[in-house]
Amino acid sequence: MQSMIRSEFRKLTTVRAPWLLLAAGPLLVVAGITGLAESGGNVHDPGTQRAAFAHTGLAAVFTLVFGILAVAGEYRHSTITDTYLSSPRRGRVVGAKLTVYALAGAVAGLASSGAALATTAAWWAARGGHLHLSAADAWLTLGGGVAANCALAAIGVGLGALIRNPAAAIATALAWFALIEGIAGQLLGPALARWLPFYATEALSRSSLSATARLLPQWGGALMLLAYTAAFAAAAVFTTLRRDVT
Amino acid sequence: MPDIEVHGLTKTFGRVMAVRDLSFTAPAGKVTGLLGPNGSGKTTTLRIALGLVRPTAGEALIGGVRYGRLTRPRRVVGAMLESTGFHPGRRARDHLRVRAAADGIPPRRVDEVLGLAGLGAAARRPVRQFSLGMRQRLGLAAAMLGDPQVLILDEPANGLDPAGIAWLRGTLRDLAREGRTIVVASHVLGEVTRTVDHVVIVSAGELRFAGPLSDIGETHAALESAFLNLTAAPN
Ligand SMILES: Nc1ncnc2c1ncn2[C@@H]1O[C@H](COP(=O)(O)OP(=O)(O)O)[C@@H](O)[C@H]1O
Ligand SMILES: [Mg+2]
Repeated sequence: MQSMIRSEFRKLTTVRAPWLLLAAGPLLVVAGITGLAESGGNVHDPGTQRAAFAHTGLAAVFTLVFGILAVAGEYRHSTITDTYLSSPRRGRVVGAKLTVYALAGAVAGLASSGAALATTAAWWAARGGHLHLSAADAWLTLGGGVAANCALAAIGVGLGALIRNPAAAIATALAWFALIEGIAGQLLGPALARWLPFYATEALSRSSLSATARLLPQWGGALMLLAYTAAFAAAAVFTTLRRDVT
Repeated sequence: MPDIEVHGLTKTFGRVMAVRDLSFTAPAGKVTGLLGPNGSGKTTTLRIALGLVRPTAGEALIGGVRYGRLTRPRRVVGAMLESTGFHPGRRARDHLRVRAAADGIPPRRVDEVLGLAGLGAAARRPVRQFSLGMRQRLGLAAAMLGDPQVLILDEPANGLDPAGIAWLRGTLRDLAREGRTIVVASHVLGEVTRTVDHVVIVSAGELRFAGPLSDIGETHAALESAFLNLTAAPN
């Protein structure tokens, strides 16, 4: 298992694409907070500061795609053959990838939270406000955002293992994010909707995009995402990953 | 050194029967040629032996165990398959370093096999820039990375230049002389007579002949006519 983890790290450090994808997170955060400040956000309102910090969680869209490519990308380039020859136990391959990608997702999340903090500080200073960093709220929002980056990378690994075709997996994830979950949420009603993966992500990262939904508590969101990660990865290991590699 | 034994192997893909009750042994110390026309089930047989494809019936054993049960599979079995993939953006040397990490192989072995395969100068180029023959050489370097006792190669001469083919032949002969077990699947008979000791001929997934090459004839012409007779459609 240790050697698989080392090999997965080396896979990541020897190609460029994953790094471009992860670098997109902090860029999105800078742009988003700049937009918030420029569109007249009130820097004296603690709610605005929280909305600014919550951009960290939005960067998780990129760690999700990053995670999807862990397994699906290997099927696309047929490098999966090599991977399974080195580790015929396919469940272990997924385990190693979950470990490495969750860690990389967390590091990307840290970079995004740093970007959020720095960008917010700069704009608030320029507008004559000052940051409220003593409140637990600020750190729960930033920390939740980091956790969301980590969790969505892991969910991506499971989803990409289940679907195996990167384009299909990414399209599914983004359609779910942008469209389907909103509709499903309305059909289910708020009491059930909050268990869905992206409502859980909102709970964890405290980014209330859909203000109408009754979200889970932050820790509840974290647990739900853990459960989704386990469910996708287990489903993949017991279904699609057992198929013949030809 | 381990033999490869195939016992009653059958594989169906939907309605296609790719391999049909196939049995043969590839003995240690010999180069075994797995020969047959396109679509005769050679690749499927090798993929089953490597645990990538699940047989419908029967089994393929390496030194008496299935591939999936080997503890350090890559130190025992080196493989190159037809569609072995490379990430186009990864450098050749990095491709092997990824493998070395997975298989617990010392890093200096990476440069060693790159040299053996004649890729020393191209080691730091991304695989995207490689010709078919260079990819094939990289695949062979990867197969030899773990200094395996068993080599399983699917159409290894594809795309190789004459120097590459001569090198491959010499390498396989040397490795067999050291007692290793080598299986080479091919539909090209040209090289076979000079490389293999033992032949297994399949057609439509079924065994048509298994035995020493000398039982068929040592010349290319003899092998070719035997091959055409053995693999001709019945009637
Ligand atoms: N994944 C697959 N799905 C369906 N049919 C397959 C698959 N892989 C191989 N086949 C079929 O099995 C037969 C044997 O193929 P293969 O083992 O690749 O032959 P060879 O390597 O001798 O050319 C062919 O008819 C091929 O079309
Ligand atoms: Mg073939």
